[in-house]
Amino acid sequence: MNRNTTFKPVLIMLFVAMIFQFIPFASDWGFYKPNFLLLMMIAWMLYFPDQYGIGFAVIMGVFADCIFLSTLGYHILLFSVCGLILIFFHRIVVYLQLVHRVTLVFLMILLVEFMRAAIDSSLDKPLAIDGVLYLAIISAICWIPLDKVAGHFYALQK
Amino acid sequence: MTLDTYTSLFESTKSDISEATIPLQLLADFPYQVKQWVGMSTISRTKLEQKNVSLEKERLILLGQLQRSAELAAENLRLRQLLNATELLMQSVLVTEVIGVSPNPVNHSVTINRGANDGVYTGQPVLDADGLMGQVVEVFDNYSKVLLITDINHALPVQVLRNGLRSIVEGTSDYNEMSLRYVSPTVDIEEGDMLVSSGLGGRFPMGYPVGTVSSISQQPGKKFMQITVTPSAKLDRSRHLLLVFTLKDGDVTRDINE
Repeated sequence: MNRNTTFKPVLIMLFVAMIFQFIPFASDWGFYKPNFLLLMMIAWMLYFPDQYGIGFAVIMGVFADCIFLSTLGYHILLFSVCGLILIFFHRIVVYLQLVHRVTLVFLMILLVEFMRAAIDSSLDKPLAIDGVLYLAIISAICWIPLDKVAGHFYALQK
Repeated sequence: MTLDTYTSLFESTKSDISEATIPLQLLADFPYQVKQWVGMSTISRTKLEQKNVSLEKERLILLGQLQRSAELAAENLRLRQLLNATELLMQSVLVTEVIGVSPNPVNHSVTINRGANDGVYTGQPVLDADGLMGQVVEVFDNYSKVLLITDINHALPVQVLRNGLRSIVEGTSDYNEMSLRYVSPTVDIEEGDMLVSSGLGGRFPMGYPVGTVSSISQQPGKKFMQITVTPSAKLDRSRHLLLVFTLKDGDVTRDINE
């Protein structure tokens, strides 16, 4: 399967992820909204690291920076580190059971959130890490459908 | 990150991408619009009549209050003229609606459905029915982005309504909390004190409610008190907002009220 076969589903998923990202949550629940762009990136990079590598992570980071109105480079850094870890582990992770993959995503979200907190504290921004555990759980659960879609295209390729 | 923080090199690119995402925000808002439309289409005639009667009563009360306020405004103008004070600023408003909110829980900003075509300009104050909401930071043709007063990057000069004490209120990235900065422990400020915009800095008009002092504490060794303020405006709930056009007295050249 060449890049063109997965390009369209990736674009559609990016579109849907951005819409989900824009759906307003009540202010008290805003922190628990998963980063759908990150989840989408994890799903595709896990299964197709040759096609969607670190460059894909950077592009997704640029999108996230523009959507979240953050400093350019903030999400690029977070997504790139996340992408590097995925590329490093993908050969093992692809053969794991779903529950283990979900656990990995849970841990990765925790890592990203702590990295975010570290950057925020260095920029004198307020720390918001109280609900990180719940955010990671919600994100891991939300990631399952994305994993199914990417896994479907991976199975087609095989 | 350093380049973006200290220069405006990427501003136009970011602005273009930000504008391109506005249709997505409209799409994300579509379920709410459908719900509103269904609600309006299926509401019973009895309920509409009840609502109409209630609104009519409310209108009468507000008109009564407006008469009193007009009288006070005239008196205020006369007193200012007696004191040779600077001329008053008149404000005209334009109703707008929130069509999108920032997906980042730390950055507090909203997108509204008015832009340069409606005369909106950068730095324009925005209100809701209860108080000051924020200011316009980015203007597109038909949309604008508004930075809310609770955003971590926002600061606003205020004064205590009771005694005129001036200070600066800053956002904390919490919709229900702001902090009052640089207030010495010896000053006269109490919990429950109402804060209004002081008009200093020339960006926000004077006298609009900003919030109420909710707690005052002092840590030993700290030079200033820690004062938290609860915003008056319903920053996370208000959907219809008012854009304030500040015009010099007697310089009302066009009707922008809607």
